[in-house]
Amino acid sequence: MMQFTHTAPPPPPLHPNGHGGLGLGLFLDVGAPRARPWPGSFPTPASKISLGNLNSTSCMEQLLVHCANAIEANDATLTQQILWVLNNIAPPDGDSNQRLTAAFLCALVARASRTGACKAVTAAVAAAVESAALHVHRFTAVELASFVDLTPWHRFGYTAANAAILEAVEGFPVVHVVELGTTHCMQIPTLIDMLASRAEGPPILRLTVADVASTTSAPPPALDMSYDELGAKLVNFARSRNMSMDFRVVPTSPGDAFTSLIDQLRVQQLVSDGTEALVVNCHMLLHAVPDETAGSVMSLAQPVSLRTMLLKSLRTLDPNLVVVVEEDADFTADDVVGRLRAAFNFLWIPYDAVDTFLPKGSEQRRWYEAEIGWKVENVLAQEGVERVERQEDRARWGQRMRSAGFRAVAFGEEAAGEVKAMLNEHAAGWGMKREDDDLVLTWKGHNVVFASAWAPS
Amino acid sequence: MEAEATPTTAVSSSGGAAPVPPPGPPAKKKRALPGMPDPDAEVIALSPKTLLATNRFVCEICNKGFQRDQNLQLHRRGHNLPWKLRQRSGKEARKRVYVCPEPSCVHHDPSRALGDLTGIKKHFCRKHGEKKWKCDKCSKKYAVQSDWKAHVKTCGSREYRCDCGTLFSRRDSFITHRAFCDALAEESAKARAEAPPAEENGGSAAVGPPPAPPLTQAPVPAAPVPLRQQPPPPPPAPAPPHRPVQRNEPETNTPEPVQFAPPQAAVPVLSQTSAAAANVSASSSSSVAGTSQSLIGGMFAPSSMAPAPQFADLGGGVSRPERALPAKPPSLCLATDASSSIFSAPAAADRQQFAPPPPPSPSPHMSATALLQKAAQMGATSSSSSFLRCLGLDVSSSPGASSSGQQHHHEAMQASLPDTSMQQWPQRMEPEPSPMLSPGLGLGLPYDSSGAPVCLPDLMMGQSSLFSGKPATLDFLGLGMSPTGASASRGFSAFIQPIGGAVGMAGIGAGAVETFVAGRGPQATPCERNSSTSPIL
Repeated sequence: MMQFTHTAPPPPPLHPNGHGGLGLGLFLDVGAPRARPWPGSFPTPASKISLGNLNSTSCMEQLLVHCANAIEANDATLTQQILWVLNNIAPPDGDSNQRLTAAFLCALVARASRTGACKAVTAAVAAAVESAALHVHRFTAVELASFVDLTPWHRFGYTAANAAILEAVEGFPVVHVVELGTTHCMQIPTLIDMLASRAEGPPILRLTVADVASTTSAPPPALDMSYDELGAKLVNFARSRNMSMDFRVVPTSPGDAFTSLIDQLRVQQLVSDGTEALVVNCHMLLHAVPDETAGSVMSLAQPVSLRTMLLKSLRTLDPNLVVVVEEDADFTADDVVGRLRAAFNFLWIPYDAVDTFLPKGSEQRRWYEAEIGWKVENVLAQEGVERVERQEDRARWGQRMRSAGFRAVAFGEEAAGEVKAMLNEHAAGWGMKREDDDLVLTWKGHNVVFASAWAPS
Repeated sequence: MEAEATPTTAVSSSGGAAPVPPPGPPAKKKRALPGMPDPDAEVIALSPKTLLATNRFVCEICNKGFQRDQNLQLHRRGHNLPWKLRQRSGKEARKRVYVCPEPSCVHHDPSRALGDLTGIKKHFCRKHGEKKWKCDKCSKKYAVQSDWKAHVKTCGSREYRCDCGTLFSRRDSFITHRAFCDALAEESAKARAEAPPAEENGGSAAVGPPPAPPLTQAPVPAAPVPLRQQPPPPPPAPAPPHRPVQRNEPETNTPEPVQFAPPQAAVPVLSQTSAAAANVSASSSSSVAGTSQSLIGGMFAPSSMAPAPQFADLGGGVSRPERALPAKPPSLCLATDASSSIFSAPAAADRQQFAPPPPPSPSPHMSATALLQKAAQMGATSSSSSFLRCLGLDVSSSPGASSSGQQHHHEAMQASLPDTSMQQWPQRMEPEPSPMLSPGLGLGLPYDSSGAPVCLPDLMMGQSSLFSGKPATLDFLGLGMSPTGASASRGFSAFIQPIGGAVGMAGIGAGAVETFVAGRGPQATPCERNSSTSPIL
């Protein structure tokens, strides 16, 4: 027992209950730092090993990484052990860090159950995971409308994009917006509102919506309403704003680079008389198109990724504007550990953000966190075409757009001003900055979502 | 102009106007990226006292207070008093980032440090401080005065009300809602039914007299949509589309149609934050049973509904857990009141377990799994008492966690143990014959010395040393001699003994932890970098 004490010199008797001494070197050692005044700086060279406490993000990340490694190494026993420890230190009802970790834990379990190794032992668990996955909330349109405004995560992109669109379609009597998004047209009402009140009078709005709901791994949120109904509401709303609008739905899939949609657009473009402005609004859906790490296809005798192909075909449509709003993160690493680290160091943000204003038990928070959980699961547990959360960072998207033949269009002061005004009504941690020609949403200084606008160069 | 992410651009409010920006190095431009802190940045940990301190530097002439001496010095110039400004040396230009002293906070981690002093102060205030500032209109409370000021400026002044009764503080939210709300469909259906163009402005404000209430109108989905629809005849006098509505003039001048939702239904949306606070304690404990919670919990743990003989599962050969564990001493050793002492003052939950008839929810059988779980839960609830800490993995600690919270948590943990998962463990128990070293706490943790990245076993080892206190050991001995005798010793004492022997194994554990830490790869945060050089215990 005493061998402990050589590493831990007997500290002052912090615990008056008579437990000092034998065998408690360890424990007292634990207590010692508490008595220490706050260190002036971090790290103190003399301090003991510090992984932070068990709650610390780095420690949790380490455990998750170890777990992922164990899964990859087919070590069922070790996997279970780490999962077990993680389960104990990261209750899903804990603080935001613990909840974040719990979501990753969940995803790792799903992965373990899908990749041979631990299949047998985790089969039961997997069933539970699957059944939970089925329990995805289906939003009504009104619910979703308030849901997307919980944080500026989506509204930031909406606001920036709308401002850029308004500017790009100035003077056009007909505006054709192609909506490639995950939030079921929640951006459109404000776009209608803006177009309807523009100086030269409302244009005719044609809206073509990519419906990806039927594809596998359709990203949340799920909508409890058909797009036909949704479209009827939008048209009705446009009418109430004295604007005529037509609404078209094209079932398509990011998995094949929206081929069916692009084909339709191409046909329309042929008959277009030039009075129509074409805008492609990509709101957090482009990352679902397979990138290089998901394999490539042959195009003009060259292997290219579907993602490259899509951007090139968008370019051939000669749109007036392409808006790309994406999360500024990179989840494209080949190895699960790399993705885990990237996702863990990005997705703490939504957890942290909702923690500031939604109570733990709130339904909206549950939906919100379920959505992040879905994302984590997709990043970690899915492979191939099923893995649609293939975010790339802002620089990479810029590169792609430029090599597809686009040039960046800077956001105007008006756009920036509107985004700022919008952010002012959210929690104080949100901010906006400009990077190059883009606008970037930040949370406590960390990049979250970027909005970029592109025109054919 | 560039908007700053954190509230850093605002000069700290409590001290009144600070004449100059703080002379510290401008750290706000470049912040640490998540997980990748600027290696050059100096990480500063300030005490809560410092963070909450306001205006420590007071001018002797006018009693004006300043948060920083430098600012006071600048102020003194105005009084023609002698003043002295510290010269900034070149070395000071080093970037500084600030961590939050609250260990459970996300910004406690150097990799998520905040980029400037004002930011960390406000953060600490907001998240861990008292909310002293209350809005008279809506009762929202704020910890930072400037937040409160900003809120008061807009509170109640800009609100939009949909005909369905829902209130919105932001126009974009309102517009989005409005487009999909049935109220609009009803209204426009009615508008089309009646020939005269009704006022359709997308958001009839509540102040104005609304169009005749569509009392008889059922919610009508929009009529079949022609492909390209001509706009309806424009309304004769389009009213300003969305008039701000004063919150405090509700029903009087808004003859709401009966079938519309009463306004109360809408108000919670706005005042949610404050109102919901009351519910948190209740709902958070109950709602956890929901979705994902039980999901993972279900992996490992027997549900409380079916008080499964966990220990039998675990130990394989043990006859009856009730016998093998007449009392629950292990839980004593793990008294949850982590903020004071692991061994002192067992929390109520633990005492409870001494009662002969096992209470329903906290599992009566302290299986090894439960033990570890308990230990882990201590780490989970109170960040300061992580069980990793005994490995020296945790330096910082706080007296934050309340024991009641821990107890609650403890019960939640225990309650969510479904037995299915327990069956995953036993196999590993039996093949390990050596009672002393083998199954790190009987959990089937590989304590192998082969060199594989053995991190967990080490955690367990360290864990076990928690029990090495005198009383704990006694308890364990008593346990080992429990009536069941032989059968118990096979399973149970197999994991008890390693506990007693944990001391002997601590060296092993320590060594291995070093591998664990050292092997953490390139992204080690500053504090981890010390790991290889520091003693473990």
